[in-house]
Amino acid sequence: MRGERWLLRAGEYLVGQACERLPRDVREERYREWAAELPVILHDPQVRFAPWRAARMLGYAADTLRGAARTPGRTQGATILSRPALLFLAIFLTGFVALNIWLIALAPGDGRHYLDLVSGLLFVALCIGSLAHASERMTTRLAFGTGLAFEAGAVWQVVLFPGNWVNYFWAAVLGFTLLAALRVRWFRRLLGPSGGHSARQDSDH
Amino acid sequence: MTGPLERVLTAFLADASAPRYGYDLMKAARLQSGTLYPLLARLEREELVASAWETPQQEGERPRKYYRLTAEGVRVARLELAQVSARSRRAPARPGRPAPGSLG
Repeated sequence: MRGERWLLRAGEYLVGQACERLPRDVREERYREWAAELPVILHDPQVRFAPWRAARMLGYAADTLRGAARTPGRTQGATILSRPALLFLAIFLTGFVALNIWLIALAPGDGRHYLDLVSGLLFVALCIGSLAHASERMTTRLAFGTGLAFEAGAVWQVVLFPGNWVNYFWAAVLGFTLLAALRVRWFRRLLGPSGGHSARQDSDH
Repeated sequence: MTGPLERVLTAFLADASAPRYGYDLMKAARLQSGTLYPLLARLEREELVASAWETPQQEGERPRKYYRLTAEGVRVARLELAQVSARSRRAPARPGRPAPGSLG
């Protein structure tokens, strides 16, 4: 496959980041285990299309971050930025994403804005992941990042056109939806079982 | 028992004596790596699953880690899955909407 070495490097980097969060005594072994699966996924004969195999391999590597975050005794890993800096960056990037949504609406034919939008969303997701210690799925983080960006866009519309009640309506709807989603997740975490369920406990009862 | 755990145990029991790699289990149980590996680690801690490193077949190949149910793991997995199956049989069928025309 073309670019295979780079893909494997990217996968190994993600796995390495995940292992940084693991307790020291299991770190090395987990890295060896997870990194050994990467070429196997990349050459899986059951998956026909090479781009899909590459996406699966990167998805596997990225999801080990979530797995590491759910491991007991994990460390927070080496973070380059402090939490306030990450929060500031997340807000800034949300604004950047909102700006790109606005620019796409103005000029739908310009491909650069789509590229900026996707990269902005990924960085927002990474920031949220770092703030939430990566315990959320990447899709959840992307969905939350998108929601935030749309909310920022709606608020921006309110600032630009304060006389139009429709802008207030959409800003409120998006805001309440985001808040409701956050509350639901918070309640679920509060009430739900932590760390899953034990098979042995099940069989003993 | 949670859905992911049920799927992992089912995948193991499909051939209880066969060693299973992480990626194989992911495919068989339709789970993401972030769900599967914490589950495997927990099953290993509970001594229901044992793991070992394979010897690479070819030069330059990385050794992979494989997992196998222990004897106790096979017993617990069969018991658990039987209980789940019995529970689902006992559960009353949800009343569905009648088929069009079935009411005459």
